[in-house]
Amino acid sequence: MTTLSLHGLRKTYPGAGQAAVHGIDLTVESGSLTALLGPSGCGKTTTMKLIAGLLTPDAGEVRLDSAPITTLPPERRGVTMVFQNPLLFPHLTITQNIGFGLRMRGLSPDRIEDSVAAMLARVRLDGLGDRRPAALSGGQQQRVALARALVLQPKVLLLDEPLSNLDPSLRDEMRQLIRGLQQETGITTLVVTHDQAEAVALADRIALMLDGRLAQHGPPQDLYRRPASIAVARFFGGVNFLAGKSQRGIFHSPLGPLTLPTGAPEGERILTLRPEALHLGPGPNPRTAQVKAVTFLGTQNRIDLTVDGLLLQALTTPDLAAGMAPGTSLTVSLPPEALWLLPPDGTRGTGGPTGPVPPTLRA
Amino acid sequence: MRPSLRTLAGLALAGFLVLPLLPLVAWSVARGWRFPALMPDQVSAQAWTFALSSQAGVLASFATTTLIATATTLLALLVGLPAGRALGLYRFRGRGLVLLLLLAPALLPGIAVVFGLHGILLRLGLAGTMPGVILAHLIPVLPYMTLVMTAVFARFDPAFEQQARSLGATPLQTFRSVTLPAIMPGLMIACLFAFLVSWSQYLLTLAVGAGRVQTLPLLLFSFASAGRNDITAAIALLYILPGLLILAVTARRITGRGAALTERLHP
Amino acid sequence: MTDRTRLVLLLAPALLVLGGLFLTGLGLTLLRSFRYVPALGMTEPDLSAYTAILTAPGFLKSLVLSLWIASVSTLIAAVLALATALLLRQTFPGRAVISFLVQLNLTIPHIVGAIGILYLLSQSGSFARLAHAAGLIATPAEFPVLTQDPYAIGIILLYVWKELPFITLILLANMQTLGEDHESVARSLGATRWQAVRHVLLPLLMPALLAASALVFAFAFGAYEVPLVLGAHAPKVLPVLAWQASTDSDLTTRPEAMAMAVVIALIGFALLALYARLVGKDSPRAP
Repeated sequence: MTTLSLHGLRKTYPGAGQAAVHGIDLTVESGSLTALLGPSGCGKTTTMKLIAGLLTPDAGEVRLDSAPITTLPPERRGVTMVFQNPLLFPHLTITQNIGFGLRMRGLSPDRIEDSVAAMLARVRLDGLGDRRPAALSGGQQQRVALARALVLQPKVLLLDEPLSNLDPSLRDEMRQLIRGLQQETGITTLVVTHDQAEAVALADRIALMLDGRLAQHGPPQDLYRRPASIAVARFFGGVNFLAGKSQRGIFHSPLGPLTLPTGAPEGERILTLRPEALHLGPGPNPRTAQVKAVTFLGTQNRIDLTVDGLLLQALTTPDLAAGMAPGTSLTVSLPPEALWLLPPDGTRGTGGPTGPVPPTLRA
Repeated sequence: MRPSLRTLAGLALAGFLVLPLLPLVAWSVARGWRFPALMPDQVSAQAWTFALSSQAGVLASFATTTLIATATTLLALLVGLPAGRALGLYRFRGRGLVLLLLLAPALLPGIAVVFGLHGILLRLGLAGTMPGVILAHLIPVLPYMTLVMTAVFARFDPAFEQQARSLGATPLQTFRSVTLPAIMPGLMIACLFAFLVSWSQYLLTLAVGAGRVQTLPLLLFSFASAGRNDITAAIALLYILPGLLILAVTARRITGRGAALTERLHP
Repeated sequence: MTDRTRLVLLLAPALLVLGGLFLTGLGLTLLRSFRYVPALGMTEPDLSAYTAILTAPGFLKSLVLSLWIASVSTLIAAVLALATALLLRQTFPGRAVISFLVQLNLTIPHIVGAIGILYLLSQSGSFARLAHAAGLIATPAEFPVLTQDPYAIGIILLYVWKELPFITLILLANMQTLGEDHESVARSLGATRWQAVRHVLLPLLMPALLAASALVFAFAFGAYEVPLVLGAHAPKVLPVLAWQASTDSDLTTRPEAMAMAVVIALIGFALLALYARLVGKDSPRAP
């Protein structure tokens, strides 16, 4: 069981103006499965390669427990990375592919054979060991890639977008396999993904990276309900933002005073409310709203509303949305327990001073 | 064009391509074939017997040529493989210039460089020696080797190497068990053709070997200018043998996509 | 190790070989063409070697002959290669055999082909014998002079024979890379088969054809052993003339040989520049 920690990790590619990784501090708890989440180009894969030793950081340190491994070559780190593409060696059979790392360590053929056979069974590929990679489906190849890393029993396992190359129908199966194997072996695992749903379904904890920086790290529910900034809230689908001032449990906003949950911080703040928490009907903090548009999204309907000229968005079940046509007036309420206050500098969270302004503030 | 016309055009082309080889085959088994006889008076193995006997020096020359071509190929591989890797995998400032410099010896006539080259090898004490000839052959062979390896590495995904390192392979293990198998087909073709380029050199061997290194083309020319058509023809056929063997090995690869690799094959 | 050091280390051996042998060789030739040979006590460079070759009628005749051979054989080889490539991309009985012959030809050293052409076309060669059998000629001297002739017909035929397959293979590789989509689009826009070839395929192939032609021209201009076998006694092609001057017992002609080599190199560099322009845009891709 190993704790992986990053300390001020920084990397700028030669010729690139901006740093790809901008000083990351992160601790991946021993035995946990942590998702490194973020949009493409945010530095996730770079971070992973820095941990694996495939890139050298400009500054900072990677540690396993308390031992720094920053200067060790990749093969001596005890950290194994599985790439987004399965990258099975095409000239080797499946068995030889899975046994690759053990062979590099110089283990006896007997021991390699035993370990590989056991591993093949665990990823449910028994009987396919003698095939070449090209004869396998994409999903099978991904499982071989996973098996090839796990058979080494690394201290830390790094998975780069393990599901992104799979058909949607295979993703669930692979997700369960990863989760199951990780819990069984207890290997400290970091999974890179750009898909928040995937991260939430897979991981114990999520580390959200935005623009080369760690934006927030915690259990999935925290990132959803208690985002640290507008950028984090928006990444998780937050659309409703109101600027205002919090004073003694009341938020003074363009929508008038709103009752806040107990313990809310004081001062200039941005209030956010997840669209699915906006209640269509009377309740605490009621307001009168006009329906502007109803969009059918499949399992949910999105309802765009205006309240006192400000735009708000709600997500609701199709039955509740039935009969709401554009122009309809109705009462909506903003439940205090669903209101969350962001620091005012959160407006500069994503893109700096020129970054996008939340829609509600613009209306 | 109708298929039958195509076949006709194809036949004409085939005739044109094999025509210059036919007199060689006929002469090599001819005895006393004087004008205006259409066919040799007598079929004889005399020329072959002589060519394959030790006194003709053909076999020794064959060995010399093989040795030089093999050594040149291995040397070119040693130098050209790393360069091909750099040019195929990386984009860097000055890459175009390096490629141009590499292309220059393949395109510039040998006569342009041979006088100065002879001067250098003379100073190194290598003029008139086999190592000197090998170094000289490196000039037209290396561009070919490097450019093919560049194309090979341009199609190679270095992520495979990173994956191997992450699975615990040392750099040497990675090269041996991942990189080498991946580039092997291209590398074989590069080597075979590099061999052929060296095998075909005439002027560089003549100038640098200074008469002391007698490769097959030099021997061939001396028999040709002596007017011994039968022996010349036999040597000529022996001389094209390695090329035929190499073609038999690579014929499938040269067609289609692999044909790009033959682009530099220009002995 | 940074990427930069790694690159330098990877490229160093090749650059060392090329710089040490090729560039130094060229440089040395250049110095000596200016009659600068300190070892022989010639320390005052001048242009007299160049004046000498430019005023001698032999040099200009040789230069013209070499350019004539290179232009004519390149032109004929390129046109025939284009036709061959268009033929070979279609299916017909016997195509596999032709493809094999095209490749076979590529492996045959020039000197062997030259000897074959000599035995085929000389005044006592196979064609002369056929002409005699047909009653067209009575003695070898009546057969037209096709080898070692002033128009270099034998040499040109050899180059066409040898380079046609070379250009054909390059064109076939290019056609394969291009695919047939462009032509299909042209056909769907109403072009006939021939129009699609003429207005779409040919322009797309042109850079490759020109680049291959530049290579062929350079070779035909600079080759030594082919004119040695098939060339006339006078005028000689430039490389043969230069080599002869360098081996002359009269040591004063040496700088003239060097000057001729420099002229050949300059023409070579011009072709290199042309080639680089033509293929520069599709150099191998980066990862």
